[in-house]
Amino acid sequence: MATRTVLLTVANLLIPVSILIFATGFFPYKPFMPGLAEYEELGWNRILGDDWQKPPAAPFDKVIFMVVDALRSDFVFGEESGMSFVQSLIRDGTALPFTAHATSPTITMPRVKAITTGSIPSFLDVILNFAESDTTSTLATQDTWLAQIKAKQFDNGKGKLVMYGDDTWLKLFPDFFDRADGTSSFFVSDFTEVDNNVTRHVPNELLNSDWNAMIMHYLGLDHIGHKAGPKSPNMIPKQKEMDNMVQSIYSAIENEDHLANTLFVLCGDHGMNEGGNHGGSSPGETSPALVFMSPKLSKVTQNTIKESPIKPSRGNEFEYYRMVEQSDIAPTLAGLLGFPVPRNNLGVFLTEFLGFWDETPNRVQLLYRNAKQMKKIVEATYTSLKFTDEVLETGEMGFECFSLNTHLTDGQNLACLWQRVVNAMGNNDEFEHIYKFMHEAQDTMSSTASNYDVSRLVFGTGLAILVCALSYLTLPSFRPITPAGIYYALTLVLYAALMFASSYVEEEHNFWYWATSGWYILLLLSNLRKEWYDKWFFHPAIMALVVHRVIRRWNQTGQKYAGADDIVNSGIFHGNNSFVLWALIGATYMDIMIRIARHVARSIATFDNLQNVQNAEIESTDHHRMIGTVAVVPLVGTAFVFKLAFTAKDAPELTAGITGGMMESVETLNIVGLAQMVFGGLALSGIWIAFAEWQRSKKRVATRQEGNGALAVAFFDLMALFLITQTKAQNIPLYLLFRLQFFFLRLLNLSPAAVTTTTLLLTQTSFFALGNSNAISSIDLSNSYNGISGYNITAVGALVFLSNWAGPVYWSLASILLLGSHGSTQRYIETSELHVADWVTKEREYLNELARKEEKGRESRRDGKEWGRHVALLTLPKFLFAMAWGVAWHLGVTVWLGGLAWWLGTW
Amino acid sequence: MATIINANATSKTPPSTAPPVEPLNNDAARLYTHIHPVLVLSLYAFSFSSLVADPASTLLNTLAPLAILQIAYVAVCLPPTGGTPTIRKQKPGEKRSRVPSKLENGLNGKIVPAFLSLLLTALAATPLLTAILVLFGAPVTTHHPHTLLCGAHVALLSTLPLVYVHGVNGETWRQVVALLLPIDEVYGGLIGTVVGAWLGAVPIPLDWDREWQKWPVTIVTGAYIGYAVGKLLGGTLLKGKKIMFD
Repeated sequence: MATRTVLLTVANLLIPVSILIFATGFFPYKPFMPGLAEYEELGWNRILGDDWQKPPAAPFDKVIFMVVDALRSDFVFGEESGMSFVQSLIRDGTALPFTAHATSPTITMPRVKAITTGSIPSFLDVILNFAESDTTSTLATQDTWLAQIKAKQFDNGKGKLVMYGDDTWLKLFPDFFDRADGTSSFFVSDFTEVDNNVTRHVPNELLNSDWNAMIMHYLGLDHIGHKAGPKSPNMIPKQKEMDNMVQSIYSAIENEDHLANTLFVLCGDHGMNEGGNHGGSSPGETSPALVFMSPKLSKVTQNTIKESPIKPSRGNEFEYYRMVEQSDIAPTLAGLLGFPVPRNNLGVFLTEFLGFWDETPNRVQLLYRNAKQMKKIVEATYTSLKFTDEVLETGEMGFECFSLNTHLTDGQNLACLWQRVVNAMGNNDEFEHIYKFMHEAQDTMSSTASNYDVSRLVFGTGLAILVCALSYLTLPSFRPITPAGIYYALTLVLYAALMFASSYVEEEHNFWYWATSGWYILLLLSNLRKEWYDKWFFHPAIMALVVHRVIRRWNQTGQKYAGADDIVNSGIFHGNNSFVLWALIGATYMDIMIRIARHVARSIATFDNLQNVQNAEIESTDHHRMIGTVAVVPLVGTAFVFKLAFTAKDAPELTAGITGGMMESVETLNIVGLAQMVFGGLALSGIWIAFAEWQRSKKRVATRQEGNGALAVAFFDLMALFLITQTKAQNIPLYLLFRLQFFFLRLLNLSPAAVTTTTLLLTQTSFFALGNSNAISSIDLSNSYNGISGYNITAVGALVFLSNWAGPVYWSLASILLLGSHGSTQRYIETSELHVADWVTKEREYLNELARKEEKGRESRRDGKEWGRHVALLTLPKFLFAMAWGVAWHLGVTVWLGGLAWWLGTW
Repeated sequence: MATIINANATSKTPPSTAPPVEPLNNDAARLYTHIHPVLVLSLYAFSFSSLVADPASTLLNTLAPLAILQIAYVAVCLPPTGGTPTIRKQKPGEKRSRVPSKLENGLNGKIVPAFLSLLLTALAATPLLTAILVLFGAPVTTHHPHTLLCGAHVALLSTLPLVYVHGVNGETWRQVVALLLPIDEVYGGLIGTVVGAWLGAVPIPLDWDREWQKWPVTIVTGAYIGYAVGKLLGGTLLKGKKIMFD
């Protein structure tokens, strides 16, 4: 027993260690160049003449950078676009259109980093994106085109910047802007205010001549996407609004003298999928539009495609015109406005704009500076290879470049390409070689496959295997073999196998739904085997399966059928029908209220009879129950009103069916205060009930009676109210369905092994049924600031986790009750024996699962090159989710919270 | 809590003492029982391309051939329910007017029960299996003919032979559901079909973008293959074994 405990503890402690070690090896290492780039000595004077290095004259001295969040390529270029003015500019040849490929993760902050630095942000930026205030992720000290403009000496002194729109920019660039007005995108139901807040500043700024860069970031279009998808009826009007904005800015450029040399860039930071969400790597999400506009552009657009609207290319329905990388924006701006390319840039100067310079040496210089800057990053990555500016012999390179039968590594390939650039300098074909080198370098450096720290991956995986081995040793014997045990093992084996199929990472929910259905049927069969049940179609297992069928359709999740119809979006909860939703929500709250009231009644009865009765199990009377209900109504009522008030702001279409007068009074309430009242009330009730139970347990000890774990039930019910508070309104009825499933499962008298299997399946099922998936974009932040007015990273982090993992937390606690049959008065189990057997199996299986997930990550690294980018992009978010499951859920919830509930149940 | 179950529970179903079903003891039966799954799979393979192209009408068109194959199989290879060729004889007080001819014997003893099984399969097993398909995630709002026909195919494969062999005895069917019968080729066919159909759902979410991933092609495929495998294993390796559960 003691060794078991030690082994188990060690195993559990090793889990986060192994995950962390694996993570440090898994997240790609990027060489980072500090400092601001400057024009530098290039050499080659002997061949190209002494004055070829003089920076060429820049065609533009101002830039208006207009970002429209989630502006997918077809919103601008497609036939159904509302942006007719931009299309007319494309036809006139005064606008140059591109589709700018955005790499995953397609969320705003990493995208802004890519646009401004030209680098490819790592996945760690995603985590930092959620921890928004984190100062280490700012770009204040990094080389960006904003920093370059600020440092450049213009005619009227150093560059000045102004910024209106998404406050991500203000967080990334603190103290950069002379004038700024940030907008936060907290309530996505806001389609108009966020944009008006930008637009109202523009007319004045167009009259000012003191700035050199004006940045605008519109959020409304993204909000419409999140709310109702790309086909929303609000989408075309919003595009027209954006188009009008473009038109008024463009006409100002045409008419105002001080704006004559202004480059106007319109772009999306990312796109959206058919569900209107983003974050992943589907074509819709990674294909934002990019348009450069200026009357001066007619000089370079003689040979470009001017057709508009246009059909997308075959094969990718979102690829219009030429597909370029989003990072190409930074060096292109550098060339067009005349400043050095930012140091960490991996972008390539867009070849269309070379036409601005008539003389060949100027063009060569521009490209060579760009290539040389990229070469430095390549050099820092492959330190063992030679990237000098002189022609080298084969012997000096250390390998054969131009032989056909040698296979070159990525680094060697780049070294060879650089040699060709060096060889070609001064000939007339250097453009081709420089572009070839830059594009190859861009591809190689942005793919993550080459940058893993293999030894750490191996070490982390080794630790995970050790964890498995340790927990394996703690297992009691496998016999007797039960169907539950077999099913558990099969589920895990199949799960591990399916994780190698990238589409099952995206569609993981399908696996759990499928396995859960099979499990219910198995439960039915094994129960019918024990005793026949005449009304077998109403057998609890069948009823649980019916409920499961409803639960799995509640939210459509995953990538393949993103945006497909589900119960939430079918319209039965929207508009005037929303009273259906609120009736169900009300029922859920009512159910919880009755339960909590019962606990409070019990506690009152405890004190009422404290002195005079010997028996510890005092039944509460009607009188107590009434007082209990009266005591609980304010708490649950506040929680309900909070949900109503929050939803009215967050998703007004879900409260449209509630009568006006009530909503008006609700909308004036202070949301933060309400949430704090709910949390405070929950804590108070918890303390009160715990105190009463403590009194009872003292009595029980005195009279040597067994408790029935009522405190664990109370803890579960209070926790349920908390979890509901952290859940979106449209998902709250799911808890009623969970409760039903719990009721049916209770009737089945599950064995400990069966409870374990059920827990695994239902925690996973509920996670996905609440609308989550393995995509970063599915993380819901709307409930992460409940009760918090300022920014507190610990509290927000905890609330983010609890609101996204609410379903698993619920089932994890529910399974404790299933396991011990708490609160019921009849059953006697040998608690100690049960405790060991079940917890141990449970632990071990989770550890196995975890190790397998890591194994998978490792496997994908091993085959990384063959699997290509797609898998790397997929495994990264999946690994983040696996981390969350492994550390926060397994250790935080299953072990700690579950252990707490179990311990409370033993009072 | 357990009392609620007890209120409805009539009895504990005893394990079956019946021997596994043996195919009829003649050469034709012994031969045809192995040819039959080949024919069924051929029928499936033959119609596969049109199944992918147009699932609903193909499933409808292959329903009759499958039913004929199954009826032929049970009539040739399996002993009908009760094992006695003439059921009419059992009724008391009825005059025996004439001795039935051999052909009539065959008709009464085999073809009639076979068609009765078909009727029961169509009326009872198909709706039941369709309902189970829906519970397992078949679309509710669309693809109604697809799901119903898929249920019909699964029913024909799995339950028709079983009804033919075991009739409608409630006790036997309880044992069927509770997995208490000894395994034979008929019971193995049922388990194989159902498990196969369940496993058939696995490829649907994969991103292979193949036409055959659409509903319900993979389910039907799983059912056919599962039937052949289950029947083969049930008739040979696992014959007479019982499913041990606890």
